[in-house]
Amino acid sequence: MTRRPKDGFLAAYETPRIVRLASNLHAACFALMKLLPARFMLDRAEDDGRLPPSGQIVETSSGRFGLALALLAAVRGYALTLVSASSLVDPPFVRRLEQLGARLLLEPDTEATGAQAERLARLRALLQERPDAFWPRQYDNPDNALAYARLAELATEAIGRLDCPVGCVGSGGSLCGAGQFLRTLFPSLRIVAVDTHGSRLFGQDPAPRLLRGLGNSILPANLVHEMIDEVHWIGALPAYAAARRLSRAEGLYMGPSSGAAWLVADWQARRSPGAATLVILADEGHRYRDTFYDDSWLAGLEGWPPAERQDPVRLARVACAGESDWTCLDWARRPLAAVSGKNMTKSYVAVIR
Amino acid sequence: MQFRGSEASHQRLLEVGVGTAIAHHGELLQGVFEDEQGSLHRGLVTLPLPRLRARATFWPRSGGAVAVRPAGRSKAQRAAELTLAHLGYAGSGGDLTIESDIPLGHGYGSSTADLVASIRAVAAAAGLRLRHSTTCRLAVAAEGASDAIAYGCQALLFAQREGRILEPLGAELPPLIVVSLVSGGEGPVDTVALTPARYDSAEIELFRALRGLVRHALQRQDARLLGRVATVSARVSQRHFPKPRFERALRLAEEHAACGLQVAHSGSLMGVLIDAGNGDATARAATLVREAQRVGFRKTSAFPLGVEEVRPL
Repeated sequence: MTRRPKDGFLAAYETPRIVRLASNLHAACFALMKLLPARFMLDRAEDDGRLPPSGQIVETSSGRFGLALALLAAVRGYALTLVSASSLVDPPFVRRLEQLGARLLLEPDTEATGAQAERLARLRALLQERPDAFWPRQYDNPDNALAYARLAELATEAIGRLDCPVGCVGSGGSLCGAGQFLRTLFPSLRIVAVDTHGSRLFGQDPAPRLLRGLGNSILPANLVHEMIDEVHWIGALPAYAAARRLSRAEGLYMGPSSGAAWLVADWQARRSPGAATLVILADEGHRYRDTFYDDSWLAGLEGWPPAERQDPVRLARVACAGESDWTCLDWARRPLAAVSGKNMTKSYVAVIR
Repeated sequence: MQFRGSEASHQRLLEVGVGTAIAHHGELLQGVFEDEQGSLHRGLVTLPLPRLRARATFWPRSGGAVAVRPAGRSKAQRAAELTLAHLGYAGSGGDLTIESDIPLGHGYGSSTADLVASIRAVAAAAGLRLRHSTTCRLAVAAEGASDAIAYGCQALLFAQREGRILEPLGAELPPLIVVSLVSGGEGPVDTVALTPARYDSAEIELFRALRGLVRHALQRQDARLLGRVATVSARVSQRHFPKPRFERALRLAEEHAACGLQVAHSGSLMGVLIDAGNGDATARAATLVREAQRVGFRKTSAFPLGVEEVRPL
């Protein structure tokens, strides 16, 4: 019925390794997880004509999703324009995107807040210029979540029954996407979300954040709060420390969000020995060689080393905390408004209008 | 290697040939699935029912057409003619008789069984056993679709509209006892004429997840997980082709801690799956049959599948 272009190497590169870390703990180790939703969103847009051959793609991203789009755009012959903020990209990343043929538009961001509003305004201008351009909208596009049926397929094939997926939330696509399919297969599934302090996703007030690869200052529609059983907020310091421990313990050289996810999943698996736990590790650690994989960089970090902590601080309601803290809350599948008392509009489409 | 009867000097005379084929009890999984190129195909994992069979006998006649009994089994006749042509006996005819204990139109695959038995009977008449893939191809040519029963009890993800394997699932099914229920109400269904389901994108992606779980269930011979696959697939089917009393059957399965519920996606059959690896499986099946009859499923029976020692149920 439909035909997928073959991406050669990238088709393999999007596929996680499913490995066993403890008797009841498996990890889905991605090299570049965002390739999976990016590829799926492009496939679907190609299928229904939103993205014609040699078409134009526009997106605002300063992270892995932008890189995934750049790889696919290069291989499939699309023009890609990415909008980002000067504070969010480093020279090697800029070079890599440019070598892939992507056009990168940087909004000045001297305050280092991410310049979200400016980036969206720039994106809107681009879309007015090129109304035919395809905007993947990873935060709101339901295809982002649907893409993770592939993860559910690989995980169930390797592991069989699953009781508890643990993963970071940025767009909500991976955890709620995989979680939706896994819960259909295993109705008693318990879904554990990992966020960071100063992220708006689970009701904290947005604030500057040290940790990359999880959290958000806006509310993506792909995050379905009513699916989430428990939320953990991890500060940058325990996340860095966990990622370093993971690389020592398993030889798994992953990014800081993976450190945060593994910290929670390992705790969860030890606490519930009968529950088959799966942790989603989204990204490798190479771009952090000169930061938290460098001891002297860590030594300069305020609060380093963080105190060894066996358990999170259990909260009764949403509360802000610092970069050294690990807190958790029994979310109990409630809507955001019921937990935080705030009424917030989801999606950045709303922001743009 | 192919035997081509048309090479006249090598053509052997047709003899009387007999072929058989088994029934099925609907599907463990049905949906759409990608092939190795990424194209989507309608596909299924069949639940075989080897104790019901179709048997075809072919008496060759030189010249003329193929005549079939019972009258009206025109697809079986067509399958016999296609098989004769495939084997290089295009000029030959014969009398094809089908005897079958497979009920029509409930999702037991009676039509495909007739075809497969007929194809095998003609091949046997020519002294040949066809490859299963060839048998399926001929059945698709005669009917427009074919389920996987030419492969017997092998576990396969099978594209029924093309009659080809999408993915071998590597193993036989784990030992099961199937408590067969008929959802009742409607009469026989013309399964080939049935409009295929239009699955939405979330369902298509759910099939991807189910494919992962069915691989695991069969590799590990895990009846419970196989039952989960069947139940989830049956729920999707229920959205497209609602069966009366489906929810009641599901409740029966839950109340008796069965592995799951499978359905014939085009038919009225439902089957509660019991893990025959459990010591008390036979007794549980008997209890379930009685309970099903008590709540109004009149045509209820149980059959073992892949069980080595069978006591009467």
